[in-house]
Amino acid sequence: MKKFIVLMTSIAVLAAVSITALGHHSFALFDLTKKVTVKGVVAKIEWTNPHVWVYADVPQTDGPPVRWGIEYTSINHLTRLGMKSTTLKVGDTIEFTVNPYADGTPGGRFQVMKLPTGKYFCDVGAAQQFCEENNK
Amino acid sequence: MKAALFACSILCFGLVWSTNALAQDSRPVYPANSNKANYSDLNKLPDWRGLWFPVIGKVGGTEPVLIGEAKKTWDIYQERLAKDPHYEIPEPANNCEPDGMPSLITFPYNLEFVFSPGKITFIQEALMQVRRIFTDGRPQPKREELDPNYFGYSSGKWEGETLVVTTIGTKAGQRLGIAGITNSDQLTITERIYLDPKDRDLLHLDFTFEDPKVLGQPWKRTHTFRRDRTWEQIEYICAQNNRHLIDANGQTITPKPK
Repeated sequence: MKKFIVLMTSIAVLAAVSITALGHHSFALFDLTKKVTVKGVVAKIEWTNPHVWVYADVPQTDGPPVRWGIEYTSINHLTRLGMKSTTLKVGDTIEFTVNPYADGTPGGRFQVMKLPTGKYFCDVGAAQQFCEENNK
Repeated sequence: MKAALFACSILCFGLVWSTNALAQDSRPVYPANSNKANYSDLNKLPDWRGLWFPVIGKVGGTEPVLIGEAKKTWDIYQERLAKDPHYEIPEPANNCEPDGMPSLITFPYNLEFVFSPGKITFIQEALMQVRRIFTDGRPQPKREELDPNYFGYSSGKWEGETLVVTTIGTKAGQRLGIAGITNSDQLTITERIYLDPKDRDLLHLDFTFEDPKVLGQPWKRTHTFRRDRTWEQIEYICAQNNRHLIDANGQTITPKPK
């Protein structure tokens, strides 16, 4: 877990450095210094550009589940990384790691998810290092 | 009623046709569109087929020397960023609007080059942007004759295996190199594009930006791309589900879960 946190911190630094190079929109609305991991039930998948969205209902101990909106990169990048519109299915229980929204809105920018197969799937860019090290 | 519509459609078609004919009569036909094309000449050009992915992080060149309002604006942005790491330098691309030239080249997606007689077409996968380089020797229009637009007017020539492109006529206020710097209406972009002599799957693109209202001296930026022969471009419709609206100050609004 410590290794994971260290890696994620380095990813955050790299991501912050490259904010201005990534096009389409700024990542200023995410807290790139933080990583949050949640487990939720996939409720909806929007396989769309400019970004793919996955909504997951995250169980709470003290109330009804809270719906998280997780923003992925584009279809283009995800396709080349091996993800398809059918990789996730409504009802799947998935563990997501995201850069959370800075204003506390439930959700964030996708970094890593653990698929039902047990394999990790990582965002394009620096996050790939995590998959390379953990999918051996 | 049907007869009236039919008569109108005939009349309207005639008007459009005659207007086009008149316009065509008064304009020159350049070699790229002439009634004779020599496709065999394309065999003499270097092989740029495939998709070209930017080598992220491998950007070289010189530091920009900003002047006047450009320097003041840059300093203001840096001050705001220092105070608030979530401050966002306002840019049109936040709203699915293309960055235009030169940023079309540097999106972290890929470029495809289409060679045809007298013309080279650049296709950027991100936002499916298209740019044309005229290589048929047509005269470069004067800056004041152009309506400024996103990609400007580009003419090119081959110097051996290097394509040298000059672009003017980009509209003011587009990103120039990095977020926080924008061009004026006086920008001239020169590109030298060539395959690496030792590795033919590497392509170099060297920019020189000259803008007397923004830069105190020419600014050079160098980019490298790696070829992939296995993929074709994938469509990218930014308007399909753009959930990143911007407010009046150019700041992205956090989308709420649906």
